Amino acid sequence: MMAWLVRRLVASLAIIFAVVTFVFILIHVAPGEPCAQIDVDVDPIVCDQLTRQFGFDKPLHVQYWRYLVALAHGNFGYSFSLHRPVRDALAGTIPFTLQLAGAALLLDLLLGLALGIYQAGRVNRLPDVILGNTTLFVYSLPTFWLALILLLVFAEQLRWFPVGGPNDPILCPVVDSLYCVADRLWHLVLPATTLGLVGAAGTARFQRAAMLDVANQDYVRTARAKGAPERRVVLRHQLRNALLSFITRFGLAFPFLLTGAVLIETIYAWPGMGRLAFNAILTRDYTLVTATALIASTVVVFGNLLADILMGVADPRLRVRAGADVEVVTA
Amino acid sequence: MKLGNWLALFVALVLAAEIARLLRQRAAQHGRWRRLFRHRTTSWGIGILAFLVIIALAAPLVAPFPPGDQLGIVDLKNHPPSWTFILGTDVLSRDVWSRIAWGARVSLGIGALGALVAVSLGTLVGASAGYYRRWVDALLMRGVDVGLALPRIFILLMMVALWDRLPFAALVLAIGLTSWFGTSRLVRAEVLSLRERDFVVAARALGAETGRVIFRHVLPNAATPIIVSAALGVGNVLLLEASLSFLGIGVAPPDPSWGSIIADGASTIYTAPWTILFPGLAISLVVMSLNAVADGLRQALDPREEMA
Amino acid sequence: MLSAMSRRSPFIICGILAVATLAGCERRGGCTGSFCGTLINAAIGEPPTLLPPSTEVVVANDIGEQLFLKLADVGMSENTIGDEDFQPLLAQHWEWDGPLTLVFHIDPRARWQDGQRVSAADVEFTFDAYKDSVVASPFRAKLRRIASVTQRDSLTAVFRFRERYPEMFYDAVFHMRILPAHLLRSIPRDQWRTAPFGREPVGDGPYRFVRWQAAQAIELVADSTFFLGRPGIRRLIWRFTPTLPVAVTQVIAGEADVREQLVTPENVERARAAPHLNVITYRGNVYTYLGFNLRANGDTSQPHPIFADRDVRRALSMGVDRALLVKSALGELGKVPPGPMSELLWIWDPNIRQLPYDTAQAGRILNARGWRDHDGDGLRDKNGQPLTFRILVPTTSVLRVQYAQLLQAQFRKIGVQVEIDAVEGAVVTQRTSSGNFDTVILSRGNDPSPGSGITQTWMRGGFGRSNVGRYYSPEFERLVDRAIAEPSRDRARALWRSAIETINADAPGIFLYALANVAAVHTRFDNTQIRPDSWAALLRTWRIPPDKLIDRDRVER
Repeated sequence: MMAWLVRRLVASLAIIFAVVTFVFILIHVAPGEPCAQIDVDVDPIVCDQLTRQFGFDKPLHVQYWRYLVALAHGNFGYSFSLHRPVRDALAGTIPFTLQLAGAALLLDLLLGLALGIYQAGRVNRLPDVILGNTTLFVYSLPTFWLALILLLVFAEQLRWFPVGGPNDPILCPVVDSLYCVADRLWHLVLPATTLGLVGAAGTARFQRAAMLDVANQDYVRTARAKGAPERRVVLRHQLRNALLSFITRFGLAFPFLLTGAVLIETIYAWPGMGRLAFNAILTRDYTLVTATALIASTVVVFGNLLADILMGVADPRLRVRAGADVEVVTA
Repeated sequence: MKLGNWLALFVALVLAAEIARLLRQRAAQHGRWRRLFRHRTTSWGIGILAFLVIIALAAPLVAPFPPGDQLGIVDLKNHPPSWTFILGTDVLSRDVWSRIAWGARVSLGIGALGALVAVSLGTLVGASAGYYRRWVDALLMRGVDVGLALPRIFILLMMVALWDRLPFAALVLAIGLTSWFGTSRLVRAEVLSLRERDFVVAARALGAETGRVIFRHVLPNAATPIIVSAALGVGNVLLLEASLSFLGIGVAPPDPSWGSIIADGASTIYTAPWTILFPGLAISLVVMSLNAVADGLRQALDPREEMA
Repeated sequence: MLSAMSRRSPFIICGILAVATLAGCERRGGCTGSFCGTLINAAIGEPPTLLPPSTEVVVANDIGEQLFLKLADVGMSENTIGDEDFQPLLAQHWEWDGPLTLVFHIDPRARWQDGQRVSAADVEFTFDAYKDSVVASPFRAKLRRIASVTQRDSLTAVFRFRERYPEMFYDAVFHMRILPAHLLRSIPRDQWRTAPFGREPVGDGPYRFVRWQAAQAIELVADSTFFLGRPGIRRLIWRFTPTLPVAVTQVIAGEADVREQLVTPENVERARAAPHLNVITYRGNVYTYLGFNLRANGDTSQPHPIFADRDVRRALSMGVDRALLVKSALGELGKVPPGPMSELLWIWDPNIRQLPYDTAQAGRILNARGWRDHDGDGLRDKNGQPLTFRILVPTTSVLRVQYAQLLQAQFRKIGVQVEIDAVEGAVVTQRTSSGNFDTVILSRGNDPSPGSGITQTWMRGGFGRSNVGRYYSPEFERLVDRAIAEPSRDRARALWRSAIETINADAPGIFLYALANVAAVHTRFDNTQIRPDSWAALLRTWRIPPDKLIDRDRVER
């Protein structure tokens, strides 16, 4: 176990390093300069000054080396487009990203599991068929389309939920009271629902199939034959397997929730990392782009590692991962 | 819509239904394939897919207007659905139905081609990793891990930024190059387990060269995850293309693709919702159908289902 | 276990919400009276810094209006000639001490928000900073005709000019916001762009800075001791939204109070339908044009094979029905500009001679220049080369992408094939500055002064910067120089007219539309004065009658 852990750690670090290098090269090679502004008459002197100040005129490998050295000192660099240290810019967005991802995953897990179990219990009867088709439909929706519709119906027409933003700017610019916690939750509902619904539909479909699988397994049949209360046996096994496979899918879904949720964050004006990264790419803010890639890949890689450890602990058969078999839709 | 268009549409519907029915009939004769159609959704899925593909192929016949024609930029702008414009017009007074029909070519084309590139690449990498094992496997799978560690939109955005203007082929290539990682994992798992099966060992013992072993013996038996992956992949690519177009970095104007039609209509969602409703439904229908077909395929080809 | 848990969780959630609502009831503050209120502006995009010389971004300017005072302000008439129409701000009064010397007397009541008095030393320091090449302020070039600014005593600042011209007073007061010397003197000039002061500014204006939450909002609070009158609204919040549709939806849902530009007819329709919103139209300060690149695509030393020919440019301009396009894309929200100007400028005159919309004449001219349809494919060609070019347009502007497609259809009708390059803003800027384009659709914002914008975009001094098409006409430049130097407004107007007619005849671009600004403001606000060149300049005069206060107005924080 120890040897495996060490090997995985080393591999993880190598992956992160490779990701950062790849992103670094890619963003520097793209045409366009960091300080360009459209429709505004920018003095070329400004651009030259800033370029020299941040060393963007040096050859690529020199910049890369300097970046690595700075990183070793914990210095993430300075964000050209936001005029703040990258560390501050990122630190500001991480809580929001975590809240959105956490709420979406919670909804995904709870709703998906509940639906999957319910459907498996009434296999091929009317509720199963209706729910099955509904989950199929929801799973196939483009998330940004769903977001636009939800915003139109629930926020603008019905006024049940706020139109985007993470908080009430007057009463709760920071979360410093119970009321503000509730306010944040209220603002979180629509964006988390948009992300979580599509995920829950996928989870429900997967769970239903998995539970039906388990129901036919030998050990369940044995337990049934032995006269043990079926519900308890089945439920225990199924839940455990469900949780394990959810952890795997979670590992695959995490990169999307971190920086792939750009569309949701744009439509709902949620100040998360996805939108930050997107704007950074558009404005060619080199340091911010590479830093985001670094953070995102670190979280993903170590999250996967953690998931693998958990699964290894839970089920010794799964110590050597053969690969998950569910395609995650990133839309 | 002129009479000819209605006729062509009707013919397309009938053809699609016939195709679904014929396939079901043929399948009823083979045990495994009968399972494919056990659920009604699968035949509906095949029917819908066939219909949309026929529409795409027969776009000039089904669409009353050329997709880029601005029919009346002052009077016919954002016109609600009517008998002439059955799905309404968009902000530049173009017929939405015509754009959807022609856009089917682009979207389904990108979907199919992108999935083709992704599945091919994924199969190649996964099979090599699974068959050769050791350092080849380690190297390739770490590469896959790197690819999985970054979300697609991020990488795609940067890749798109590299081209000044993005030709269609480059877009397909970019999407394909970022979508193969999951498939490679799947294929690798299958190949790993198939490798030790008798027929493979026998083929190797008989001196067959590696490539032949892989292509003629291993891969055909690993077909299930590959085919299912391909079916789902088309849907994923479609959704991805829609997202990219919505972000402004997909298909360039004025070419219609389902994603760019939604992007064009996003600013008028409140006053002209039909401009995003119908292309969104089209995308959902295709992805739904593909998922239903993939479900059916999985059930048909999965050996464990023999017992159920 | 799961079922038990799922039975309990709804109650837990209800419990939290109940407690929260009760807790929320306590939060309602007690501000009543005439000086309460909160104004939330749904702003698009976040400013890079709030230090005035370092940025030209509109949102930064709007916030700067509340924090930092200019010496004097233009009046509602937007007249930039002479000094009669200007309102005193930081300067209580002024006089001319000779033809090239202007003396300002600073209001002794003016105070920085840390308590120090505003003095002429601040004015001297500000001028030095704005002219410093290290600070590289975008306003630097506009101050080139001021020779020096010195202090005669602590409340008297003296401006000396190099030459006499009609807009001397305008140049002295409009571009600079006076900065606190005692706080900025110690900051090295090359660090101004990134200095912390830009994120926590200290000013002397009607509002004080409270907080800046990155990517979310900037909050200002009124200074009740402001010497020109206590602002009516207690708190101003600029809330950043990523895109226009989101911002408009916030205003319509009542979560924001004002959106100063609705831009599209759909948004105006939605705003008009909302009962709690007033829709206010005011003169716009932006015009958009399709610029031709007069030099070869990718090689600025060679003339462009199509656009270097003046007659071809004229023909292409005549082939576009600008009025119809405006009607389609903007409805009542835009006008066809009579030249490269927005409606804000006092030289706006619909009677200025422009090229007419005449496709027959366009066809004849193109034929005469050798562009005929020789091979019968519906497209004109000459020497085997088809008449085709590309339009570069940024994807960030939905309106401009729409226009590119409208133009494509218009050009198709006269036998010209056009392809559209919709790319990111950063790429558009790079390609225009290096000359890698055929045509581009750009927008230009105007100062109230007609000279500054036109000089930068349409004269040789703007080569390599705003004048991306590299248009140069000695005749045009001569007329503009004379117009700028003419002290009499009527004679200046006539000179400007000749100049604009010259550039219209040369057709270096097609002037597509001048947006009218339409703002949506919540009905509870009174006295909503909006000055066209800067809508937020008079926010301190807005009021909310005490009987119209809503919940968030009463919060006292």
